[in-house]
Amino acid sequence: MIHHDPLYKDTPLILSVSGVDKSFDGFKAINDLNFYLEEGELRTVIGPNGAGKSTFMDILTGRTKPDCGSVVFHDSDGHDYNLAKLREFEINRLGIGRKFQTPSIYKSHTVYDNLVLSLDRPRGAFQSLIYRESPDDREIIHDVLKTIRLSDRKQDLAGSLSHGQKQWLEIGMLLAQNPRILLIDEPAAGMSDEESERTGELLLSLEKKHSLIVIEHDMEFIRQIARKVTVLHQGHVLKDGAFDKVKSDPEVIEVYLGRQGEKSATT
Amino acid sequence: MDPALVAFLMRIISRTFNTKLLTGILLIQCALCHFVVGQVESANWHSVFHGLILADGDEETFVKDLEVFGDPGISDLYEAWRTGDVYSFEQDREKIALRQMSSSSWIKISTGEAIELSSSDLESMSKLRASRGVRRMMKSLIDTLGLKAEDPIVRQESAMKLGLSQNSEFLPALRSRLEIETNKNVQTSIHEALAISLLANGSPEEILQSVETLGDLKSVPGRDFVQKLYDTEIESDRSESALSQASINTISKIEAYIGRVEFIGNFFRGLSLGSVLLIVSFGLAITFGLMGIINMAHGEFVAIGGYTTYLVQTWFISIWGIDSYAFGWYFVISLPISFAVAAVIGLGLEKSVIRFLYRRPLESLLCTWGLSMIMQQGFRLIFGAANVQVNNPAWLLGNLSVGGFNMSYTRLFIMAIAVVVVILTWLLLRKTNLGLHIRAVMQNRDMASSLGIPVNKVNSMTFALGCGLAAVGGSVLSQIGNVGPSMGQAYIVDCFMVVVIGSVGNLLGAGISAMGIGSIDQFLQPSLGPVMGKITVFFLIIIFLQWRPGGLFPTRSRSLED
Amino acid sequence: MEAWRIVSYSFKKPRRLTGINWMYLSDNKKEIGLFLMIGVLLMLIPGMNAWGPDSGVFAVSSFQVSLWGKYLTYAVLAMSLNLLWGYTGLLCLCQSLFFALGGYMMGMHLMLMIGERGAYQNVLPDFMVFLGYTELPTHWVPFYSFWFSSVAVLCVPGLVALVFGFLAFRSRIKGVYFSILTQALTYAACLLFFRNDFTFGGNNGFTDFKDVLGLDLNLASTQRILFILSVLLLLLAYVITSGLLATKFGKIQQAIRDSENRVSFSGYSTTSFKLIIFTLSAMIAGAAGALYVPQVGIINPSEMTPAKSLDVVVWVAVGGRGTKWGPVIGAIVVNLLKSFATRAYPDSWFIILGMLFVIVVLFLPDGIVGLYHKIRSKFPQKASLKAITA
Repeated sequence: MIHHDPLYKDTPLILSVSGVDKSFDGFKAINDLNFYLEEGELRTVIGPNGAGKSTFMDILTGRTKPDCGSVVFHDSDGHDYNLAKLREFEINRLGIGRKFQTPSIYKSHTVYDNLVLSLDRPRGAFQSLIYRESPDDREIIHDVLKTIRLSDRKQDLAGSLSHGQKQWLEIGMLLAQNPRILLIDEPAAGMSDEESERTGELLLSLEKKHSLIVIEHDMEFIRQIARKVTVLHQGHVLKDGAFDKVKSDPEVIEVYLGRQGEKSATT
Repeated sequence: MDPALVAFLMRIISRTFNTKLLTGILLIQCALCHFVVGQVESANWHSVFHGLILADGDEETFVKDLEVFGDPGISDLYEAWRTGDVYSFEQDREKIALRQMSSSSWIKISTGEAIELSSSDLESMSKLRASRGVRRMMKSLIDTLGLKAEDPIVRQESAMKLGLSQNSEFLPALRSRLEIETNKNVQTSIHEALAISLLANGSPEEILQSVETLGDLKSVPGRDFVQKLYDTEIESDRSESALSQASINTISKIEAYIGRVEFIGNFFRGLSLGSVLLIVSFGLAITFGLMGIINMAHGEFVAIGGYTTYLVQTWFISIWGIDSYAFGWYFVISLPISFAVAAVIGLGLEKSVIRFLYRRPLESLLCTWGLSMIMQQGFRLIFGAANVQVNNPAWLLGNLSVGGFNMSYTRLFIMAIAVVVVILTWLLLRKTNLGLHIRAVMQNRDMASSLGIPVNKVNSMTFALGCGLAAVGGSVLSQIGNVGPSMGQAYIVDCFMVVVIGSVGNLLGAGISAMGIGSIDQFLQPSLGPVMGKITVFFLIIIFLQWRPGGLFPTRSRSLED
Repeated sequence: MEAWRIVSYSFKKPRRLTGINWMYLSDNKKEIGLFLMIGVLLMLIPGMNAWGPDSGVFAVSSFQVSLWGKYLTYAVLAMSLNLLWGYTGLLCLCQSLFFALGGYMMGMHLMLMIGERGAYQNVLPDFMVFLGYTELPTHWVPFYSFWFSSVAVLCVPGLVALVFGFLAFRSRIKGVYFSILTQALTYAACLLFFRNDFTFGGNNGFTDFKDVLGLDLNLASTQRILFILSVLLLLLAYVITSGLLATKFGKIQQAIRDSENRVSFSGYSTTSFKLIIFTLSAMIAGAAGALYVPQVGIINPSEMTPAKSLDVVVWVAVGGRGTKWGPVIGAIVVNLLKSFATRAYPDSWFIILGMLFVIVVLFLPDGIVGLYHKIRSKFPQKASLKAITA
């Protein structure tokens, strides 16, 4: 039985996380976490180091199993899936894609092949054996290549790309999957100002078509993309709401933004 | 403290300190004391026996006098008398008895001193034989001689021997000894002996009583006798009798006790095997945890320890000889030497090869495998392909017996060394500067480096430490196993398992899993045999990893690619 | 891992994924040329033995035919490891176990074919008579059939790999842990086969084979046939490897090597991919072992020691892992070196091998093939053997 947050009663939810605990060797990384995501929403998750952001992502993608609580994905056909019971690749096939903090790509494959392998096609072992590229597939890949600005490097090995380009390639791999929820961990890390601004634009353009959860540290970047912000603290949701409201909340300032936050809040 | 343990410690202390190095006044004094006391005492029984041999009609009084003594020399002399090695001889017009030790050496029976005889003396001697009457009187004296011996263990053994013979003749001797016996252990043995003997010789009440006593004493030798008694009861359709009930009771008590002893035995052997695994895999866990190096040549460092022990032994023999007190020290000395030799060789390897392999575990596995082949062949070229002989020092031979269960001193000593190694390693890691650096590098090498910790130096030291520990393990192994070119190979697979189960780089985990694998291995071996035991352990490990893939204490890394 | 550097020599020309296509070789004229050339060159050995001169430089003795036949089965073994280690990143240390299992399965058939011509003139194999068996153990009976044995050659190693792989991959054992566990598996199996009561001949294993399918194994013509079969197996293994690598399956295989997590977060069950490759590789190794036994004439547990498995790793590393012909080159070069060194310097062979290992790992991570490319890229002249790694 899923209890929807009364606030969102009228809007379709795509993800409900309720009452989740997770501890490692006695340390409570996630503590009674409740989190709801609407269809097509772009949500930014912030929080100080050790707030449990990465563990939260791990739980959503099946990398870590929660000790208790439920993590439910509401599919468009009305089915509910308990993500805590599924394995990583099954969760991914439901349409939940993840971009890691450090770029995770296939460095000995070409940029093009990286995208081919990420396409949302039958992914069983036998199907992979008989897979043939269709004109459709090629079109999708070329679109993605254009979006992530790597068209002219499609036949280069991914290992030879710059750090920023690798980040982009990984986002591109996510796009090729065409997932319903994108989980994006620090997309702007290691990017130049210009690159990170373009990343922000890209994420904004994905809103509505996909649901997004973005974890970020960079305040400038958050200011650019933030719609609704969730602040995690000690594995628990401290506050959520509009960015402006959250950043001026005294509790948030105390645990996370500190003095620096005060300053940025007044400017 | 357990008296047996005290005895063990005393023995180690006396054996190790009683060397040429300590030939001080104390030692001379002791020797003198012993000499004087021994002389007085032995003179006593010697003169009584002398009187008995030359007695004429009053043998009975001499035999009575002799009953006071418990010296094993009495039985020896009696045997000589009986077989005709005792002669009478007239010296200074006095008749004395002599004993022929060999064709040309003679001793005076009255004092035990040697005596020079001329050829004319030999002709005047006549052979003396014990008469039939004396032999009858002496028989029970000789049989129960052990009951009066000085050493309580001899008294215990003698009592059991008398009891197991189930000869009613010995009952009075046992009973009279029980009255004056003060040693608790000997008292127990005499009770046990009496009970066993009474099973055959006692009245029905006494038999019932004895069966119960044997059950209370958990007498392992008594088990078969009680079983026999029970079988006769069943055969004669008296399965309901009090005796058969008591027998069942006693048998089950004894069997439970035997089971317990076997359990402790397996446990003990498991712990000692675990101790070896522990010492060796500590080194492995440290090198992998700190440097990400899977050292396949670790087994060869174990062999270095074994060979160093061998060399130290050879060196001791050539200087002091194998029977000297000093030889007893060689093993103790070889432990730190093994550590040092292996650490220096390890340091050399680290500087020349290993440092290129940090954080590349698969490459390190292959490269160190190459090193392992080179080292093994090196051993063969230097020491030959066959195993070399490493002897146990005398003070490690024998068993410590606690509650009917024997623990060999060698294995106890190994466990003690493991405890020392664990404590020293812990102190090194927790209380020294080097340890602090090692832990810092283990957790985050880049951060440690940027904080000014000399990472390269720490790496070298750690690798040397790991190799040194392996060699200590090898030195210890030389006492319970073979020393040969491939001695390390037999243990290396087990040690890898220990490290995997204990979570790589986690010392506590390595300790627990070493003890666990050692014990399970020893528990399975009696029923499955060594090979099937090992294979079963391997499959248990696979199953364990299904349940806890990261081992006992998995480290959680935040980075994606481990 | 530096493996991607190797592959950078390929993919100069885009190639589309077209599913399984055994004719894909025709895409690349040079590669198919090399493939055929190697096939023809190898066939020269039995040809020279049959029709060539009896003495002189071109004489090929029957001993050399079976010696090279042995090398070829080793080469196939190396290729099977390369499929795992070179292309999937799984350093498997039980490849020699699969090889020996294949060998044992064929050996069982060969033992039964001896019949009453053994030393004890009993229908039972000699070692069974010696150990006091009165009848054939049940699991031996089907091995009277050659075809059953041939199927077992593939299925038994495959089944072992399937079960062990399932347990290992399911609990996410990878990297060094996988290597250590596979080494332990080999060790355990080796101990088991050393036992007399395991009904596989204990220490001595199987030997004194007489004939197979009615062909006398001591005849040169039979050895030639076995040699040709080995060449065919080698070429087949090559086609399977290349064919697989050209499909999306092969690309995922290499992707697992680079970033296993990304693969599973792209919706692929890495467990089943790894399991399939592990099983396939075990079957190829088993087939190689089955051809090894009749050519060498003996199989015993020393063929499945952990040390033998690491030998295979040396061959692949020396030749160049993650390259198509590297393992073949490595297996042949190291074994030639071995047969030379064990005769010339019997005492120092292990030292030479060990040094080779250390040097290759430290200075030649891509082996001989990598060295070739390094030299070629220093002297960019005419294009030639690029096909080797394509």
